[in-house]
Amino acid sequence: MSLRDNAIVAYAETKVMKKSDRDVWVLAGEILETLIDKTGFDKAEIDGLVMSGLTGTGGASMFWAQSTCDMLGLEVGFCEQVHTGGCSAVGAVARAAAAIDAGMCEVALCLYADTHVREHNGRNDRNYRRDWTDPYGLMGPPGAFGLLQRAYDAKYGVDLRALGKLAVTQRNHALLNENACEELRVPLSIEDYLNSRMIADPIRLLDCVMLADGAAGLIVTSRKRAKEKGLHNCVIPIGYAERTNFLGGDNLVDVTRSGHEIAGKKALAAAKLDIKNIRSFHPYDDFLIALVIQFEAFGFCQPGRGMAFARDTDLSYKGTLPMNTGGGQISAGQAACSSHNLIEAVRQIMGEAGERQVKDTSNALVTGIGWINYGRNWGSSAALALIPNQ
Amino acid sequence: MTATLSDTLNVKRDIKHYDFGMPFWQATRQKKLVIQYCKSAKKYQHFPRPVSIFTGRRSDIEWREVSGKGTVFSFTIVHRGPPAFQGTEPYAIASVTLDVGVNLIAGVVNCPAEELKIGMKMKPYWHPLDNGEHLLMWQPDGDAT
Repeated sequence: MSLRDNAIVAYAETKVMKKSDRDVWVLAGEILETLIDKTGFDKAEIDGLVMSGLTGTGGASMFWAQSTCDMLGLEVGFCEQVHTGGCSAVGAVARAAAAIDAGMCEVALCLYADTHVREHNGRNDRNYRRDWTDPYGLMGPPGAFGLLQRAYDAKYGVDLRALGKLAVTQRNHALLNENACEELRVPLSIEDYLNSRMIADPIRLLDCVMLADGAAGLIVTSRKRAKEKGLHNCVIPIGYAERTNFLGGDNLVDVTRSGHEIAGKKALAAAKLDIKNIRSFHPYDDFLIALVIQFEAFGFCQPGRGMAFARDTDLSYKGTLPMNTGGGQISAGQAACSSHNLIEAVRQIMGEAGERQVKDTSNALVTGIGWINYGRNWGSSAALALIPNQ
Repeated sequence: MTATLSDTLNVKRDIKHYDFGMPFWQATRQKKLVIQYCKSAKKYQHFPRPVSIFTGRRSDIEWREVSGKGTVFSFTIVHRGPPAFQGTEPYAIASVTLDVGVNLIAGVVNCPAEELKIGMKMKPYWHPLDNGEHLLMWQPDGDAT
């Protein structure tokens, strides 16, 4: 048994809301119902629950996954909460598959439900922030990415119009995605990006992701079980890797390098895929500069050439490397435990992306970025390669 | 970046410490900067940890006083701060590489925005806190050549 012996047989997603009008467990229930309807699995057949720990609403609960089982009436042999921040969405798929391989469950629900705008209970200062950055007013991700982008600029140079192009490309995708946050579904120009106000110079408003509410979910089961169930239009995870605390045992590091170097190589090797043959790319986007750094870390281009790559590559859904075709988090909203780009990749491979459908669905690469470390870039890096059922 | 930068010195700060980082804060009472040093790896580390990040051993850690002189590795100008800082923006925060080879992030004082540059020399500015400790901030090191 291995990762690729498993299949994502269905996805579900609510519309992203600037602020949810209903409770997080109502959203979770809607996801469960949609997935039961789409797969034909009885609720009692779902014997695994894997939730993302990246939840503001569940953040204060030590029992979030168990209490969610209780709320949804699920009885499971595998109950898990993934704590790799923004890597948790792809990490949940890998953990569900591992649990299925290990015989701990057969049908797993990967559940990504969060209403961190409506109800935020989480805290994030039981780390270095308490006495090493909060006293200076360095505000979370934008502040950290301000330091990161200026360091990148000093080393390689930042092309603001290239960043603006990334913003526009993703926004155009969100315009085609009716599940994207409605408030973000307005056209954008490179000039709008350049003129957006500074948040943490050099980070502008339109560099940043916007928190939003929503839910999504996947059903993961063995390919054998999927076949028995007649679920043929499914997505196979063929390579996954993650890296937490890259170069964490060193004191001074190159902040333009990340754990994606390792996770990317490992995931692609498992998938037997060359990066040049990736047909759509769904990189985690909390800030635009993170996209550029990932182009380099995954090997789409040489280190330092990410800006040129962004400038010279058609990253639209019709382009040579379709990227974040649902709008990415930056233009769809950072909702549903940051699962947006994963759900979009699954939808694309299943051929259900409507007017933004990519032509080549032979594979997709999804990534994760999780947590912010002290003066570097991010704490966890993940990569998940997907192919259609063959 | 022509705006006048705030020094944020009027912001009320109530900083919670970890016990394993207390030598740092105790030293600030005398405006001294001490940094963790790993005796095995012969390297410094910052921020303070309960163990050496190089060897994983707690017993490898000692604290050494350092000059606090360094050069700006990166900086950001905060235009939208957290609640306690709102109304004081814009202000600058710099990550400075100390001459002992660690980066230390702190607010910047006594520096016009147009002079703040990567590579510029910095030295400590000790801002007194209510409890007798001092908060390390960065100021331009005019004596450095």
